[in-house]
Amino acid sequence: MNFALLSLAIPLFCGLLLLLSGRALRTRTTGFIVIVSTVASLVAAWFALQEAAAAGADIMLNLGGWETGLAIRLRLSSLSALLLVFTALMHLLIGLYAGLSRDGIKRDYWALSCFLHGSLAALWLSADLFNLYITLELLGLTAVAMVALAGPKAYKPAANYLILSLAASLFYLLGVALLYGRYGELDVLLLAPRTQADVITRLALLLMTTGLMLKAALWPLHLWLPPAHASAPTAVSALLSGLVVKGPLFILWVLWSEVAPPTLAQQIGPVLAIAGMIALTAGGLSAMRSPHIKTLVAYSTVAQLGYALMALGLLLTWQLPQMHIALWLFVIAHGLAKASLFLAAGEMQSSLGTKRVDGLRGATQTVPVAMFAFAVAGGSLIGLPPSGGFLAKWVLLEPILSEPGNWPWAMGVLLGTLVSAAYIFRIVAISFDRAQINPLDINPDRVGHWLALLPALMVWGMALSGEWLIRLLAGGPV
Amino acid sequence: MNAIELYLTLGIAVFLLSLHGLMTLYDPIRRLIAVNLMGAGTFLVMVSLARRSEVPDPVLHALVVTGLVVAISATAFALRLIIAGSKNDKTDSGGGNRKP
Repeated sequence: MNFALLSLAIPLFCGLLLLLSGRALRTRTTGFIVIVSTVASLVAAWFALQEAAAAGADIMLNLGGWETGLAIRLRLSSLSALLLVFTALMHLLIGLYAGLSRDGIKRDYWALSCFLHGSLAALWLSADLFNLYITLELLGLTAVAMVALAGPKAYKPAANYLILSLAASLFYLLGVALLYGRYGELDVLLLAPRTQADVITRLALLLMTTGLMLKAALWPLHLWLPPAHASAPTAVSALLSGLVVKGPLFILWVLWSEVAPPTLAQQIGPVLAIAGMIALTAGGLSAMRSPHIKTLVAYSTVAQLGYALMALGLLLTWQLPQMHIALWLFVIAHGLAKASLFLAAGEMQSSLGTKRVDGLRGATQTVPVAMFAFAVAGGSLIGLPPSGGFLAKWVLLEPILSEPGNWPWAMGVLLGTLVSAAYIFRIVAISFDRAQINPLDINPDRVGHWLALLPALMVWGMALSGEWLIRLLAGGPV
Repeated sequence: MNAIELYLTLGIAVFLLSLHGLMTLYDPIRRLIAVNLMGAGTFLVMVSLARRSEVPDPVLHALVVTGLVVAISATAFALRLIIAGSKNDKTDSGGGNRKP
């Protein structure tokens, strides 16, 4: 548990330190400090993962040494340890890009990214409904501040994002209040055996689900996401799409798979799965029709979250542990691939001097590395073997295909795959158009292009460690 | 209906009315006020839930206090963003209906 706490505390203290130091440090020094602290947090998270895998069961910590029932508890499971490693890794990859690419980024990015890292780490470790609310608010406020880093043009989408995020938090909070009023308990594990399928519980769960779906931009509450994510600076878009939307998804998973009584979970399961299927198609179609590169990538986040929602819905409907593995594999594969897509899109935008998809004509010649990163990461979103996306889709499809009665769900996955392929190939096809090449606007930044490729290579490397990941998520020995 | 049930109903009613406001209004300041009222409704529910026992439940009071802190800081941040955004709008519109 100590290593997990270390992994949470390092970015938090680093962020506070940077805030206190104000303008005393140069931007480059700030970036260097943050990257070193992220590496330290990653190492601590890795040791926490070893500890959690060796323990075989959840490790609990009562904050302040109070007895169980009174204390706010933290929980380290192998899933939360894996998510800690994933968060630190994403921050490291994106931090390296933000620090080394030529465009550079405002100084405030570094302190905010530290806070984002800290609040996500706290979210993965919390086992208390109110503590989860606090981490959710921290996450939302930091994310909005990071969107606003893009300058005055981003203030409007940032304010809209903030208002919706606050409303969503209040939905969640009202649900928490109702659950506490009914059961007198906030701790997830103490609440779990006591919940019953009565009216108050239904109402509370419905309110919390609405809030969380709005926060995670799950269909049909996703409309705020594309403007907010597309207007943020490149590194921030990558963090938002790759990590931030996964936080509320985690709480949704905790809520329905642990807190809610199984009968209610089985009722909501098909609804969530169908919403996921619609998200896949609707988000994909919007991505296909989007005229701007970054908006296309943002809509693809809406679509890809549909897979995660579908896995969650089917997990609840059939109470199958295998779907739990599929859900978290999707989250990790999508995070890495989306980081690469946003970084590549941002680099291509600045090198070619255009925000439009049409401007990518001839990109395979003018910006080959960035375009390669885009195509490789897109391959994982489509689910081409042997990428991480393929691994997740395989685990999702296996139980669906084993029973003829489940085949309609396979159609949803198939449709989603087709639509993803359509919007990725749309970009790839335009970039091979060498008849009317859109010339370079500025000399491309080679370091930035290669750093954009790095997460894409890692998502293809995920398949190599697939067995290890699956065993870890299944909770068995590694 | 006793007093606590009345307050609970009122809290939910405030929450729903302001939700309606949030969904139908366009002006960002009005929407922010609507969100704040949603918060007020939620806190009213929490405080009246705490009053059900003879000794008021301290946990719910602690939650309300924490919620208020979050709501105040978030509102301040949102106001700053909205004001900065509207200034930006005025400089962008390029004349026409700009005030002298």
